[in-house]
Amino acid sequence: MTGGPPGGEDAVASSTTDADADGVVVDDAAVELVDARKTYQLGEPVHALDGVTVDVPRGSYTAVMGPSGSGKSTLMNLVGCLDTPTSGSVFVDGADVGAMNDRERTRLRGEKVGFVFQTFNLMPRLTAVENVALPLVFRGVSKDDRHERAADILERVGLGDRLGHAPNELSGGQRQRVAIARALVNDPALLLADEPTGNLDSETGANILDLFDELKAEGNTLVMVTHERDVAERADRIIHLLDGKIERIEAVGDLAGRQHDDATTERDDVPDDGHADVGGDAA
Amino acid sequence: MAWRAIRAHKLRSTLTTLGVVIGVAAVLTFVILGASLQAGVIGDVSPDDRENVYGWASPPDTNGGPGAGAQPVFTPRDLAQIENEPAVRAAYGFQPVPTQTLSSGNETVPRGSGVYAAGPAYVDREDVAEGRQFRMGEREAVINPAAAALFEQNLTVGDRIEIQVPVVGSVNATVVGITEDAESRSPFEGFNPEPRVYLPTDPYVTDVTQADRTRFSLVVVEATDRGSVDDARDQALAYLNSSESDASGFGDEDLVYNFQTSLELLDQFQELFSVLQNFVVGVAAISLLVGSIGIANIMLVSVTERTREIGIMKAVGAQRRDILQLFIVEAMVLGVVGAILGLGLGLVAGFGVAELVGFEELVIPWEWGAIAVVVGIGVGVLAGLYPAYNASKTDPIDALRYE
Ligand SMILES: Nc1ncnc2c1ncn2[C@@H]1O[C@H](COP(=O)(O)OP(=O)(O)OP(=O)(O)O)[C@@H](O)[C@H]1O
Ligand SMILES: [Mg+2]
Repeated sequence: MTGGPPGGEDAVASSTTDADADGVVVDDAAVELVDARKTYQLGEPVHALDGVTVDVPRGSYTAVMGPSGSGKSTLMNLVGCLDTPTSGSVFVDGADVGAMNDRERTRLRGEKVGFVFQTFNLMPRLTAVENVALPLVFRGVSKDDRHERAADILERVGLGDRLGHAPNELSGGQRQRVAIARALVNDPALLLADEPTGNLDSETGANILDLFDELKAEGNTLVMVTHERDVAERADRIIHLLDGKIERIEAVGDLAGRQHDDATTERDDVPDDGHADVGGDAA
Repeated sequence: MAWRAIRAHKLRSTLTTLGVVIGVAAVLTFVILGASLQAGVIGDVSPDDRENVYGWASPPDTNGGPGAGAQPVFTPRDLAQIENEPAVRAAYGFQPVPTQTLSSGNETVPRGSGVYAAGPAYVDREDVAEGRQFRMGEREAVINPAAAALFEQNLTVGDRIEIQVPVVGSVNATVVGITEDAESRSPFEGFNPEPRVYLPTDPYVTDVTQADRTRFSLVVVEATDRGSVDDARDQALAYLNSSESDASGFGDEDLVYNFQTSLELLDQFQELFSVLQNFVVGVAAISLLVGSIGIANIMLVSVTERTREIGIMKAVGAQRRDILQLFIVEAMVLGVVGAILGLGLGLVAGFGVAELVGFEELVIPWEWGAIAVVVGIGVGVLAGLYPAYNASKTDPIDALRYE
């Protein structure tokens, strides 16, 4: 890709970067943040994100952890093209999101990104199945197809018997699953989930996480915010945020098994500019 | 989805629709009243007499309706000469006969107007429902059904009537024909249906004034067909202006000939009514405008209230035009429903008031109904367009945060 940021090659660990035959570096990051900052001006500036440089490799499964107010949701909004950084850049598939217009960004969201909001953001007047089918409406899918797809996915998240219920007729956990189903309905290449299991009992939560594993196995890219360690450990790696900065990146699972020492001990050697290798230390 | 939003806010949607309903209904009611009033006064004189030219001679700059300022200058010879012109089928004098009473058998009814002397062609053959036209030189009459109904036992063909004419005394006539309806037959009669009796000018006029002294103020020139009306008029005027005519040589007063078709005469009335109509439509348009401001206001609130929903839709891939479309469809549905209800209400109100006022004829100017509907819907859509446009521009993240 030629749209990569300067220093992008440097920012990407070898495990996520392939050199083709000509020796040109091909950036294989699904999403790439370069020194992204989000500042809110409220009397004194609040840095929700304070210079984050991170790659989300294609097909990876990333968990984001950090205390409340550390900027997790803000990060997700940037990765999901819902928001643009105050400074720095966000690249999705190598294209600079900041340079896109509203229409292009909307299309990107509609076609590639599935977003599970922390606050669900369901349409209050639509039923569960209509909420799930909503993204398909804007892609011109016929009504019958929409309904069928939406009903299928609701079945998969265990809400096959609640298709016609409005959000206010559903429990918190059921709403959360409707939100998850809606994020999945477009078969998004990039799934962003802000505390997707926060309201679920362990069994239902485990079902959702199994679903995420399946998606990962199908080659989709996942980013998930969670406060629970055991949930985060189902991912390949965990990004720890603190005060809008990346505190450390931890590899788990197979990578962690191989790199046990490095992965499980805190990395204090993260550069000050927040730039971090995120592919683990496989190299 | 638009439909669902409408249903979810029943009261608001109802109020929005009400603006359009009242606007459209007001326009329609007013135009129905205007048109019915016009129809009541003018009636539909036209279709049968389109080949007729109505003429009179008056001092220049005389204003007023048909026959205003008419001076008796046309002799029977003039009329006979005009009738000889190639484009003219018939030319005859028209003379309202002053009356006091009509009698038949031993029944007498007061009647101050509605008796006219004219040529036989004045009452078209096709318009005589029963019997026949009267003949020149005979003591015969054609009456209309309203005149027949003046008497306890309806007059029929063959009955004899007696007309009491002031100064002259009573004159008799045999009813030979009854017309189809009581409509006015020409602008000279006025425009309202009423009881009428038609008599031949000979003998009823010429007997009294003596043939060689007879002068008609009003004349009717009938062209051979509708296409020849202008020719007939030109030929009649050419003759009248020539030194050959009696009219031109009669007296030295400077008179102007007015020869006009009933449509031309009607136009003058029409103009007056169109001023009235414009005023009425103006009032109605203002109510439509007030309604539209209401719609705009409600749409604005509706869009603001749904900022969060708009954010959600944009977050899951709704483009600006999708959002716009949603709100426009909503506004359009409200506009269409409002317009249709307004149409219904307008018809009912128009009919009701017309009934109350007592108009004989109800005229529905559909073109105005259509305009009101189109404007009503247009206003609904335009009022929804601006807030929808604003809504479509909101940043999804800001919209999602909106509480
Ligand atoms: N619109 C905003 N205006 C001002 N400050 C904001 C805004 N949005 C977020 N912030 C601030 O940015 C910081 C990060 O917020 P964010 O929502 O990303 O936290 P979080 O990590 O998701 O927290 P939680 O775990 O509670 O969801 C917080 O301090 C918050 O107050
Ligand atoms: Mg959050």
